[in-house]
Amino acid sequence: MLPEPVASHYVVIGNRRYPPKQVIGLVTRLDRADFTSHQARRILMGLGFAVGRRVPTPSGRGSANVPGVSSHAAVRTSHSGPRPAGDERELSETLMLFRGEWVATKGDELLVAAPTPKELVGWLARHGKRADSMFRVPEDELALGGLAPL
Amino acid sequence: MRFQFRQIPDPVGTGVRPRPIVDVVVEGLELAPQACLLDSGASAVRMGGHVAELAGIDMDNAPRTTIAVGGALVVGRMVEVALEVSDEQSSYQWTAPVWFCEPWRPAFGLLGLTGFFDHFEVTVAAYEEWLTLRAIND
Repeated sequence: MLPEPVASHYVVIGNRRYPPKQVIGLVTRLDRADFTSHQARRILMGLGFAVGRRVPTPSGRGSANVPGVSSHAAVRTSHSGPRPAGDERELSETLMLFRGEWVATKGDELLVAAPTPKELVGWLARHGKRADSMFRVPEDELALGGLAPL
Repeated sequence: MRFQFRQIPDPVGTGVRPRPIVDVVVEGLELAPQACLLDSGASAVRMGGHVAELAGIDMDNAPRTTIAVGGALVVGRMVEVALEVSDEQSSYQWTAPVWFCEPWRPAFGLLGLTGFFDHFEVTVAAYEEWLTLRAIND
């Protein structure tokens, strides 16, 4: 199935971006007028697919805007059991337990750790979570040092 | 926009080091912004190939080249993508060429000269562990 042009929202399937309504329409055979992009997006997120929003910007130029205040509730990692909220120092100490793993954080909390970035984003999508940051916890000097290209 | 340095554990032991890291939303993948290190020694913006995969970026016709990163040779493929940074008050979006590299050992993406430093006036206060970004065309 070839992807139709993505106007705004998209879902990633097999390394390709598809409009969520195209996917849900094809799978369920429902008329696309019977559901919204947001409903399709929510269903696909619940199934663990990564979804995103295309933000068109003129090439080479930026645009500023003021986002709303985030109101995400505190969440806890599902892999390592509950972890207390705390300051950033506490988070960095928690991260030491996950060297070499991919982690998603929000504020001072670890949302989830996973062996691969795909599993990590799949977990976020399934649980309707939005991270502030994702990265791999450095497991050796190569992951941290000498980063500048030669 | 102002950002505190990020406390990142050292690879061994119990040490923690603050680093100038900014989270970047790539191609609208808002549920998982990519932690990226400010790296004025890098000539361009470079990220792991997994980021392109996560965001469904088509790299079939992307130009490729071999790049040395951190003493290792990697294959980078360049795609012009939408990027966004935010702090608590505001956000800024721009498009830039990003080299998606495989294999990718760094723990973070790298924000280099072309595509990042040429879009912002950057102030780094390492002693006080914060940095600010001011978009040049704001």
